[in-house]
Amino acid sequence: MPDPIDCREAKARLEDYLQRELTPELEAEMQAHIERCRHCFQFARFEENFFAMLETRATRECCPDALRRRILDLLRAEAGRG
Amino acid sequence: MAEPSTAVRSFDREALPHLDALYRVALRLTADPTQAEDLVQDTMLKAYRSWQQYRPGTNAKGWLLTILRNTFINDYRRKKLEPIAMDLEAAEPHAIFRAVELDDPEGTFFSRIVDEKVTQAVDALPPDFREVLVLSDIEGMRYAEIAEAIGVPVGTVKSRLFRARRLLQAALYAHAVEMGYIQPREK
Repeated sequence: MPDPIDCREAKARLEDYLQRELTPELEAEMQAHIERCRHCFQFARFEENFFAMLETRATRECCPDALRRRILDLLRAEAGRG
Repeated sequence: MAEPSTAVRSFDREALPHLDALYRVALRLTADPTQAEDLVQDTMLKAYRSWQQYRPGTNAKGWLLTILRNTFINDYRRKKLEPIAMDLEAAEPHAIFRAVELDDPEGTFFSRIVDEKVTQAVDALPPDFREVLVLSDIEGMRYAEIAEAIGVPVGTVKSRLFRARRLLQAALYAHAVEMGYIQPREK
């Protein structure tokens, strides 16, 4: 089976692929390309690491306890009124 | 003292678990902890008051983030123009990959950068780009949800994300070079 897409297309679609935003057909095309193209495979690893880093490193801040308590109090007061 | 109503309990169960995410996004959008707290509080109150519009079992996080984002735009966005210190033309899709592919093809330098620098680099993005990047790549909203939340076509979300990711990668790479996490290649 010939490769359905070239490297230029693969690079353009790579991030949508990693974010699981492609249709099943396009996703299968990407998978097929990445499996046979060493360079795009490597680029995919790089982008994957970028996304993984962002997801873990930028989600560590938590809602402060004082704010959480203030919001709960407000919601209870609101419920009492309604 | 009455028992909490069904509405209160379902709000507690579905909305409260997303307080951390709401607070983080508020921090990114306002770049000010005090404003971020007010924004989260306003958002939760609005969400509670319009809770009957939420369809149980659908994506509560996306629903709440949409309210937060719109509250921010309507009531918080400062009128002053924010400085854009980044090169908006540096948009080749794999520019940073190409810069590191011989020495660090997997981009391990990303994981050496401390959390604070990562969030600072996100905060330095132009507002339109920062917003989509935070909602998509950090908080996991789908492109279509973001398009609906901010009132633009999906294509616009995608092009903003593309720019945002290029700018962020360039900023993180520059920081990694400055810190000596990675050596730039001679041209």
